[in-house]
Amino acid sequence: MGLLRYTLNRVLQSIPVMFGIAVITFLLVNSMPGNPVDIMLAEQEASPELIAAIEARYGLDEPLHIQFLNYIGLSWILGAVGIPGFVGSPPGILQGDLGFSMYYERPVADLMLTRLPPTLLLMISAFAFAIATAVPLGVLAAKRRNQPADHVSRVVALIGVSTPSFWIGIMLIILFSVQLGWLPSGRLVYPWRDPSHYGLTSQWELYYQTVRHLILPMVALGTLQMATIMRVERSSMIESLQKEYVQLARAYGVSERKIMRKHAFRPSQLPVVTLIGLNLTSAIGGAVLIEMVFSINGMGRLLIQAIQTHDYQLTIGTTVVIGFVFVIGVIITDISYAYIDPRVSYGEEN
Amino acid sequence: MSETILEVTDLKTQFYTERGVVRAVDGVSFDVKQGEIVGLVGESGAGKSVTTSSVMRLIEEPGEVVGGEVDYMGRTIVGFDDTGEELVPRDDMLSESEMREDVRGNEIAIIFQDPMESLNPVYTVGGQVKEFIEINRDIDGKEAKAEAIEMLRRVGIPEAAERYDDYPHEFSGGMRQRVLIAMALGCRPNLIIADEPTTALDVTVEGQILELVDDLQEEFGTSFIWVTHDMGVVAEICDRVNVMYLGQIVEQGPVDEIFHDTQHPYTEALLNSIPRPDRTVGDLEPIEGTMPGAMNPPSGCRFHPRCPDAREPCREVAPEFRVAAETADGSPHRAACLKHEDVGYWDAGPLDSGASETTPAGADAAAEEGER
Amino acid sequence: MAIGEQQTQEDSDGGGDGVEANVGWRYTLDKIKSDATARFGLYVIAAVATVAIVTTIDANLSRLTLGRVEDFALAESVWYHPERHPDPGTTERRMPPFFVEGGSLEHPLGTDRNGRDYISRLVYGTRISFFVGIVATALGMLGGVLIGAVSGYYGGWIDDVLMRAVETLYAIPPLVLVIVFTVFVSGGDPDITYAVFGVGIAFIPVFARLIRSRVLSVREMDYVEAARATGVKDRDILRRHVIPNSFAPVLVLATLQIGVTILIVAGLSFLGYGAQPPTPDWGEMLRISHQYMHSNPWMSIWPGLAILITIMGFNLFGDGLQDALDPRIK
Repeated sequence: MGLLRYTLNRVLQSIPVMFGIAVITFLLVNSMPGNPVDIMLAEQEASPELIAAIEARYGLDEPLHIQFLNYIGLSWILGAVGIPGFVGSPPGILQGDLGFSMYYERPVADLMLTRLPPTLLLMISAFAFAIATAVPLGVLAAKRRNQPADHVSRVVALIGVSTPSFWIGIMLIILFSVQLGWLPSGRLVYPWRDPSHYGLTSQWELYYQTVRHLILPMVALGTLQMATIMRVERSSMIESLQKEYVQLARAYGVSERKIMRKHAFRPSQLPVVTLIGLNLTSAIGGAVLIEMVFSINGMGRLLIQAIQTHDYQLTIGTTVVIGFVFVIGVIITDISYAYIDPRVSYGEEN
Repeated sequence: MSETILEVTDLKTQFYTERGVVRAVDGVSFDVKQGEIVGLVGESGAGKSVTTSSVMRLIEEPGEVVGGEVDYMGRTIVGFDDTGEELVPRDDMLSESEMREDVRGNEIAIIFQDPMESLNPVYTVGGQVKEFIEINRDIDGKEAKAEAIEMLRRVGIPEAAERYDDYPHEFSGGMRQRVLIAMALGCRPNLIIADEPTTALDVTVEGQILELVDDLQEEFGTSFIWVTHDMGVVAEICDRVNVMYLGQIVEQGPVDEIFHDTQHPYTEALLNSIPRPDRTVGDLEPIEGTMPGAMNPPSGCRFHPRCPDAREPCREVAPEFRVAAETADGSPHRAACLKHEDVGYWDAGPLDSGASETTPAGADAAAEEGER
Repeated sequence: MAIGEQQTQEDSDGGGDGVEANVGWRYTLDKIKSDATARFGLYVIAAVATVAIVTTIDANLSRLTLGRVEDFALAESVWYHPERHPDPGTTERRMPPFFVEGGSLEHPLGTDRNGRDYISRLVYGTRISFFVGIVATALGMLGGVLIGAVSGYYGGWIDDVLMRAVETLYAIPPLVLVIVFTVFVSGGDPDITYAVFGVGIAFIPVFARLIRSRVLSVREMDYVEAARATGVKDRDILRRHVIPNSFAPVLVLATLQIGVTILIVAGLSFLGYGAQPPTPDWGEMLRISHQYMHSNPWMSIWPGLAILITIMGFNLFGDGLQDALDPRIK
């Protein structure tokens, strides 16, 4: 029961944060000097009628705080319970409406449905790659502390945390696509699409192509995560190996192998999980760049397109959703932390 | 007299630190007989824990057992051959895997000082007890679990079956120490090394634990090496005592003899420093100064800078560890003090209070760093 | 283990009040001096700093003396002007590095698409990364330390409000926040100055959280209790006891954070929202060279290496600092 209550608690705690994200984004985007419609229509000759029509359509003729209430969806609620002045207000975020993209001429929420999965695919595979490589290497480095394997892993980790992910992406493309021609240099193949969409015949072929297309962006985005996780895994494992409970296991004849895999391993994953939660923000930022380098139509590329086309509602919507993705990611890591450490869900410490 | 199960002879363990070699254990000899509780007493840093770790061959880098012998029921845990130039491990010394499979846990088990740190926070208490029982006894998982619950019950954990799945943080310090005792006894070892197991507990709990160990020890017939700095605990529980100072044993004998016919000034000082009902606080005599580091031990008798009875020869002559008094049951009562040697101690004048020769405390602490 | 208890206690007592803190600093310096990797990091930082300072002086000196804006008199006299096209008439004059066919030693690493010497642009690009890294981090540190200290020290509703705000800010990925900030606050005309403020704001949370947790533990220390009991004002307690005692980890974080700043600003310029052409900047150079991955991959290599080495310097030094300040893990 403890874990379930903890989860619920954690979700409730994040509501003010999600609200705050909407506020900050809304304010930032509206801090732009000048009339938003003018900027939206920068490249077009627009009649005053058109401008007025657009303003009315997006509610831009209202004062800012009303615009915000509309956007959040509070106006809709107030209208629904019959508060005069709000009746007939448009739905907002709370009703699942993230606004309307002027450039794409589609609801923002619709765009999210097609743009979010590629970003999630990219991020999840990058973290999977990072964890799958960093955890064993970190453990090995801790085990062979101050031996050659340790030194090599530390140098790799150092280079990993010091290299811009988009540059790694460029280097990988130059090496594996341009020079060697082994792997495709951009775009993803989505495993949830029909194989025929890509001119493929079987499901397996589709998966194969998915993996081939995913490798380079995954490595580019995952390297930084791998390096940081490796460092923490190493130091946390070293600390854990010096703990009395590990010495006790040794004194009771537990094999080194089992100590490495169980007794020292599990407690030392706690800082690693924390780190993954903290790293989510840098990973999302990195995803924006990686999507640009590899021409992946995800959230990051959408955000940049929104900004370039002065698409206000799309910019706000994308940013808010990116913030939400992060918050949800943190909740997931917190819950897995509580799962590993029984002390957390009982509210003893954090 | 019952059979000797553990014999430690001239054991030497060193730590190699940046500042030099620390001789944490420097020629320690003692034995343990079947079914007895042997005390290992001394201040922090005397080398007690290093001694017990050496016995289990659990010394890690940068430390190393460099000499002496440890014989456990005819098997060689530590043994060296002298090639003339250097000491090399003897052929009959148990291999690392033999130590792990045949000795640690199932023959010699250990209880650590800090019950808070000794249990793994992310596994259930019962699971940990069960795991060690399963490893060290020829029983399957189900039996091991039943045995674990039984042992938890035996050490006085209420509702042991229900608490089996609880995590360490749900147990109090005293309860955790009981769990560790259950763990040790559950493996049915011949010898349990208890490394200051009650130091971290408060006095009432300490009393309960000592009583528990006393009962269970009789029932299981297990031998104990009881490491402590508390002479009170020694009096309560031990059959024989070894008093350690700076990596060496300075006095050794049956507990009654040590208390009533004390042969070494250091033992005397330890005894005088514990509170007793028949004395007031004013009568307590703390030992002067702090123990010097094991890197540069004082010349002659290592205790002489702090010894109230030190005389001129103590500065130069290292005392021999020899029989110092007759005992009622004939088991030896040894001590390492010049009072028992013919080197002119009794003719020499007293030493100026040795405080000035004591190494500064800071340097000691630094020297000890490598021993952790 | 019983042995070494004393030492452990001494460790944890380290860096207590003012007097001990001084000893701590000297100890820290000694530790860094004896640590080869930290020393190497310091050398890298020193080298990058020298280049950055010299190039900045050059650019500003010529502006002051010759009345020209952003001119590179010194660079031009000894080498090539990093911003000006050698021959504005031709638009496409890329040249590969000297060891590739078609290259020449006149431009050892070749030229960019405007025929501008690559090395001189790399050298002058140091300025942006270095100063933006330091200034933006310092801004974030200042804001974060203030907010974190106030929040942790006063607690109660002040803490709640500030920490909710910080958490929210933290939930928006720095790069995204900085892009939106730079574009919209600048009114659609992004500039490196906005980027500096954007990164500064984006980094407030990391510092605020760290300093707050430190303050929470320092606040309970005896000497702070004692100061409060004797009637010292809250503000003075904060300034004299709490902040100095929380400073060591902040310094470590700041050093490491400079590396992160440089990464973010490079990414920002890569997307076109950081330094604007013709200003030489590593991220901007990567943005242009990205288009020539097939024909001239070398162009993409050099700026990335420059970023890598600079950030590595800060990371090495930061790690050394951390080891020196926290001796638990070696």
